[in-house]
Amino acid sequence: MRLLLVEDNRELADWLAKTLRQASYVVDVVHDGEDVEHALAAGDHALIILDLALPRMGGMEVLKRLRARGNPVPVIVLTANASLDGRVKGLNEGADDYLAKPFQIEELEARIRVQLRRANDRTAPVIACGDLVFDTNTRLFSLAGATLSLTPREHAVLEQLVVKAGRTVSKAALSTAIYDFETDADPSAIEIYVHRLRKKLEGSRVQIATLRGLGYLLRHDDPAP
Amino acid sequence: MMRIGSLRLQLLAWVVLPLAGLAAINLWTSHGNALATADLVTDRMLVGSARAIAEQVAMAGGALDATVPPAAIEMFDTGDRDSVYYRVETAGGRLLTGYPDLPVAPEHGGLEASYRDHRLRLATLSHAVIGAGTDSPIKVTVGVTLAGHDAMVKRLWLSAFAQQLALVAIAGVFVLLGLRRGLAPLLRLRDAVRSRSRSDLDPVEVTGAQSEIRPLIDALNAYMERVRAQMAAQRRFIANAAHQLRTPLALLSTQASYALRETAADRRHEALVALQTSSGKLARLAEQLLALSRAEPGSRRPRADRIDLTEAARHVLEAQAPAAIKRDIDLGLEENGPVPVIGDGTMLREMIVNLVDNALRYSKPGGSVTVGLAASDGEAALTVSDTGPGIPPEEREHVFERFYRIAGAAEEGSGLGLAIVREVVENAGGSVTLGDAAAGGLKVEVRLPLAVPDQRSA
Repeated sequence: MRLLLVEDNRELADWLAKTLRQASYVVDVVHDGEDVEHALAAGDHALIILDLALPRMGGMEVLKRLRARGNPVPVIVLTANASLDGRVKGLNEGADDYLAKPFQIEELEARIRVQLRRANDRTAPVIACGDLVFDTNTRLFSLAGATLSLTPREHAVLEQLVVKAGRTVSKAALSTAIYDFETDADPSAIEIYVHRLRKKLEGSRVQIATLRGLGYLLRHDDPAP
Repeated sequence: MMRIGSLRLQLLAWVVLPLAGLAAINLWTSHGNALATADLVTDRMLVGSARAIAEQVAMAGGALDATVPPAAIEMFDTGDRDSVYYRVETAGGRLLTGYPDLPVAPEHGGLEASYRDHRLRLATLSHAVIGAGTDSPIKVTVGVTLAGHDAMVKRLWLSAFAQQLALVAIAGVFVLLGLRRGLAPLLRLRDAVRSRSRSDLDPVEVTGAQSEIRPLIDALNAYMERVRAQMAAQRRFIANAAHQLRTPLALLSTQASYALRETAADRRHEALVALQTSSGKLARLAEQLLALSRAEPGSRRPRADRIDLTEAARHVLEAQAPAAIKRDIDLGLEENGPVPVIGDGTMLREMIVNLVDNALRYSKPGGSVTVGLAASDGEAALTVSDTGPGIPPEEREHVFERFYRIAGAAEEGSGLGLAIVREVVENAGGSVTLGDAAAGGLKVEVRLPLAVPDQRSA
């Protein structure tokens, strides 16, 4: 899952991004409200973590413009101003959640999960496809009960496929989802990650199918209930 | 309550005591009047009685016959058990009837004399008797004891006394009523102030306040307005301070969480080092907040230490040297002798710390920070020049505001340093200005009044 973090305090932004990457999220960081639009256009982020006190364009203005363009991306607002008025105003302007600084990273992560689950119309924290299970709380994959060991990139690809299990995911969408702005995107490497994943999934009841010209699709051969 | 009560007593005393004095003088004169009246009445009665006796004296058989008519005595019977004494004698002094030893009184009365252990008032009347020859005119003397006289005086005087007393009492009552009415707005003001909650600083409104009390209410309201402004500033500062602490705290918590989860030793170490740096910065921020609250007027007893700015600057630079060397910044002091100033030593040192800290923070590695000290024309000048990006002229006034940070500035300052500097410098009676350094960075110039040469060391 690719997240966009908008925070003007560089140190906090850096360390938040590092911590979220530990949990296998792909994280882009911008420090300025005016950069949000471009970042979103290029990254197709699944969620925005937005600080309100930003130089040049404030977080509230960013949010207002985002919703005015009809962008439904979930937004979690971070703010040092925890007043009731501020929270209500933020939620009214289209924020999906509100978190006051200082916060524990665990709480931010829990709220990220809730928002992602909602965005994908899921209610359970566990996504299963055949005997492949992705626990969104621990952010770990398991296959037939055993934890699956994956590199961050493999994790990103498989997460994207499992979230959209049964539907086609284009190579471009995969590429956007797994590379942040600091990495040179290499669409051909996607094939390598898919190849490695297939090997790791061998012998299970799930397969990654290739649809030429369209992309990939995660499917399982369980008999339909 | 005590003070208002005594005001009441005071006003009452000022009105009633002089009035009572006047009443006493009045009573004294009215006593004299009563006495004069009683004397006059008694004398008239004595003369009347003497005339009644005299008119009964006639020649009878060649001799003067004096028969005293009862009415002449009974006219003194006023219920006061007075005794009446009389004497009728011829022109030659021969006693016709009565008491021979009765004192002689002048014509028409006015004499008071002692007789047979009684005080008497006496009157004598001369009366011609036809046919009495050389015995005419006869002299009739009548005396009466003073019980009736005194009773009359008493009655006359008592009624005056009662009137005066009633007058003073009525005046006192009116004074009290007037005071009660007059003081009512003051009491309402007291109640209005007393019944307020601690945080209520809205202006007090007292209806019907007199022109003498109005200035007191206005002054009170003006004072509360000042307190309110002070409290609002205080609240803004606390809100700002809390706000400023939130982001560094979030950073600390994030770094700690990262370190806890990280399994690779080197990355974990890196996170812990960063955590240590962050907590150091947070400590510095707390220090600055404290310094700012101490620099605020009224928060600290004004101190007048005599401190040498040159020595203070030297200490600060020595303390900051390791940080400067680490960042490859050339830190230097340019001085030519002591620069003594008077002020709060702790706060003046804190001011220098903030200036040097700022200069180091905004200078890039390879740059330089120079602290200069000079004394001229009774003024001490402290300059701190750096090779940083400087501050655009349009921002120069704003950077002294608390928590103000220049938009887009990459460095994470607290926005308090220059606010502290200005507060300290202004408390010490000086000024601070921002300018361009020769090398292109910022030059901060602090001017303070120079201390007069120390008498002891001279």
